[in-house]
Amino acid sequence: MNTNKNEKFNATTESGENKTTVFLSGELDLSVAPDFRLVMEPLVGNSDLDLFINLKDLKYIDSTGIGILLSILKARHGMNARFVVDEVPPQIQKLFDMTGIAKFFAPSENSQ
Amino acid sequence: MNSEVQRVVITLPASADFVDIVRLNLYGIASKMGFSYEEIEDMKVAVSEACNNSVLYAYGQEGGMVEVSFEVNNNQLSISVKDEGASFEGTTRSGNSVTLHDKELNDVEIGGLGFYLMEALMDDVTIQNQSGRGTQVIMKKRLMKSEETV
Repeated sequence: MNTNKNEKFNATTESGENKTTVFLSGELDLSVAPDFRLVMEPLVGNSDLDLFINLKDLKYIDSTGIGILLSILKARHGMNARFVVDEVPPQIQKLFDMTGIAKFFAPSENSQ
Repeated sequence: MNSEVQRVVITLPASADFVDIVRLNLYGIASKMGFSYEEIEDMKVAVSEACNNSVLYAYGQEGGMVEVSFEVNNNQLSISVKDEGASFEGTTRSGNSVTLHDKELNDVEIGGLGFYLMEALMDDVTIQNQSGRGTQVIMKKRLMKSEETV
């Protein structure tokens, strides 16, 4: 069973012509929050690039992780820059729905 | 099966690096009791939030310990997360549990989500804040047995 595996957090960045995608895997919790912030910091401030975060392989997120996503949302929103959270696993989507952050992730194709 | 309460207690450094150890223990105990995948995932989040709280607010620079105890009853798992930090004012820790549902993006703040998640994901949550004696969070989840033979 895959739930038993204690997977280390990893963030891989893939740069395209006008968008950057960050693929997250493992467990995003308090212990790796500083690493995640470090990866995101330079990307968040670049309003020329669309920013995508792909959660397909993310196994777990806590309120710290949700808080970071929220601060990215706010920063991107303030810059009028695109930010998309993609391929959210059901268990994580449930937390997004419960906390209410989901509505800010709602697909907005014309947000450019 | 007897109805005695069985206890598993682990004591860990109040450090973010050990919260995953709590999740692993929880997984072992809860799956042994027969909780579903989804229920276990819910409990993982709730218990981690309680631990995060102790890690972040219980102790200053010196650090300290967190005691996590799992009490297994016939059909209920009770998890206690306890620190001996200087449980100051209480506003930062036991503060309001908050969601973002009726907020605009510009108004949202991050604090409070952890407490909200604990309450939403467990059947019962009690927070005891004794000044000078730390904080204890007790969370309970009942096992819904689906027509199993006794």
